[in-house]
Amino acid sequence: MTKSDEEVLRVEDLHKRYGDHAVLRGVSLTLTRGEAKVVMGSSGTGKSTLLRCINHLSPPDAGRVLLEGQPLTPATLNAMRRHIAFVFQDFNLFTHLKVIDNVRLGQRRILKRSKAAATERAMQELERVGLADRAHYYPAQLSGGQQQRASIARALAMDPKVILFDEPTSALDPELTGEVVTVMKQLASEGMTMLVVSHEVGFARTAADEIVFMDGGTIVEQGPPSTLFANPAHERTRAFLKVITHQESA
Amino acid sequence: MEFLDFAGEHLPFILEGVPVTLGLWILAISFGFVFGLVLAWCRIYAPTPLYLLATGYIEIFRGTPMLVQMFFIYLGLPEVGIVLDPFTSAVVAIGLNTSAYQAEYFRAALLSVPQGQMQAARAMGMGQTQALIHVILPQALRRVLPQWSNEAILELKFTSIAFAIGVSEITARAEQVGYRTFEFFDVFLLVALVYLVLTGVVAEVLQWVERRVHVPGVTTTGAAAG
Amino acid sequence: MIWQTLYDNLPFLMHGTWVALQLLAALLALGLVLGLTLALGQVYGPWPARLGGWAFERVFRGVPAVVLLLLFYYGVTDFVALSSFLAAVLALGLRSAAYQSQIFRGAIQSVPAGQMQAARAIGMGRWQAIRTIVLPQAARHAIGPWTNEFSSELKATSLAYVIGVVELTRQAKYIVSNTQGNILIVFGVVALIYFIVNRLGNAVLYRVEARLAVPGFERRSP
Repeated sequence: MTKSDEEVLRVEDLHKRYGDHAVLRGVSLTLTRGEAKVVMGSSGTGKSTLLRCINHLSPPDAGRVLLEGQPLTPATLNAMRRHIAFVFQDFNLFTHLKVIDNVRLGQRRILKRSKAAATERAMQELERVGLADRAHYYPAQLSGGQQQRASIARALAMDPKVILFDEPTSALDPELTGEVVTVMKQLASEGMTMLVVSHEVGFARTAADEIVFMDGGTIVEQGPPSTLFANPAHERTRAFLKVITHQESA
Repeated sequence: MEFLDFAGEHLPFILEGVPVTLGLWILAISFGFVFGLVLAWCRIYAPTPLYLLATGYIEIFRGTPMLVQMFFIYLGLPEVGIVLDPFTSAVVAIGLNTSAYQAEYFRAALLSVPQGQMQAARAMGMGQTQALIHVILPQALRRVLPQWSNEAILELKFTSIAFAIGVSEITARAEQVGYRTFEFFDVFLLVALVYLVLTGVVAEVLQWVERRVHVPGVTTTGAAAG
Repeated sequence: MIWQTLYDNLPFLMHGTWVALQLLAALLALGLVLGLTLALGQVYGPWPARLGGWAFERVFRGVPAVVLLLLFYYGVTDFVALSSFLAAVLALGLRSAAYQSQIFRGAIQSVPAGQMQAARAIGMGRWQAIRTIVLPQAARHAIGPWTNEFSSELKATSLAYVIGVVELTRQAKYIVSNTQGNILIVFGVVALIYFIVNRLGNAVLYRVEARLAVPGFERRSP
């Protein structure tokens, strides 16, 4: 996969409200092939909701999501979701399946790959995230960091056009975030198209092509990390960055 | 000694009822398993009319005695042209009855699977039914297994009720021996022992199944039911 | 026609219900006293009490109610004369004791050990602590499962039919035999009576549970 200007994901004016609370108030963004975009912002600003609306885990109230120009609709949903992988904050590995079967399930049942092909691919992806030796363990027998890497392997095996990461390190003990961030950096450098909600400043600085800063359900600022970290234009961005960079150095 | 002689003489005749008892039991709990899952599905996922039907069904079958249900089916249904032989009537009655209990266990088990599991399956591109089959059910069934085993053993004992409509299972055969020999105490003591062994063996088998399908991290829904 | 039949036979059904209720009350009372004794013996007693309780539970939970009824009626009357009603009380009551013993044992064991220690620390004797501190708390744990036991024993009273106790189900059978028909409607009405009694009983027990509720022992959600 190589970077290009070809548009993979386009999000147009998404709106979502829960009861009286408007969580998303018109969010638009695009991802081009090979681009890694990081969404930041204080908690409760709608970052996770944005990701969930993109693959319609929470259907948006208004707005459109297009994958390579094709809109997601209830009719095309299942067919299109296989191209949009989702990595959850709390992993959500299938508890009753061994790691290798977690990585095989979607390949077998959705992509209809042969067992041999699915197995080969699963081992390849587990190798990639450094878990080949844990293939026959159950999720409950792995550490949090290992579970999250396994869930990334599960995502990769589906040949997604884009991967959505929903705070992939925030449920982990601090000493375990590193192994997950390393895998994500590697993916970004290999040209995987990814949209990442995360406060991992290290990842954002070194691996992201662009940072999107959200506040109050809208995007207030976006730009390359060098610009945004060094010279944030918006008051809220400055305040937020001050807090998280301080935490990082602490 | 006298009892042992008695047992030696009459046990074979009583044991000929074991296949009937076990056949009745297996058919009834299998029927209850399938129908119980359908009812549980109705209670969780179905539109309101189906939900209400399933709820009403469960309330009625859990709120009335199995013997009355069995008479209703065996003696009553011929009035509307449905004639079933005693064995079939017993299978239907016990099956309908246990399905109502199994449904409630299944419902609790399905709801106890964390929501993230369904989300992860859907996010991958699975439809709801596909996700239920490949992700939710395998976990729910493992979680419910201890309670389900209790229910199955309870039903094994309830198969003796079929004797009241003339099914020639263990209890009915014991009663026949009683009327032949007039040794009622001995014969019913003997059949009690047969049931103790039978329920003991079945309990062992079910525990073996539990160990067999055990997966670390997929644990039971709660305390075993009484 | 059907309604006339039902109306004519209503006194029999009511009498059958009354007999079923008497049987239920007697078997539950026997089960309560014996079950509680067994449970206390198993939790606090010496090893023979624990072993005896365990064996009792094993046997009476492992044998079908129908077989117990037949054993106590036809079998025991070989030695002592028992009315079918009394045989039913004994058979179902002892069986219920096994189930209730399990309920009470679980309830007693769910009272934290610190409660007993605290009671002993302020100078209470063992028995006094059990009676005034442990059992009141255990009762609140037990009432939920006991409500289930009530329901299943109400339904079990119908099994006394097999030894000829003239309770509700046998009355229904008599009516059906005498009137040559109306089977569905008669058993339907009988089922309804069981259903209503069950509901009423549950409502009363829920009320008791709500009455007993103190902070820390909130009512189960229905």
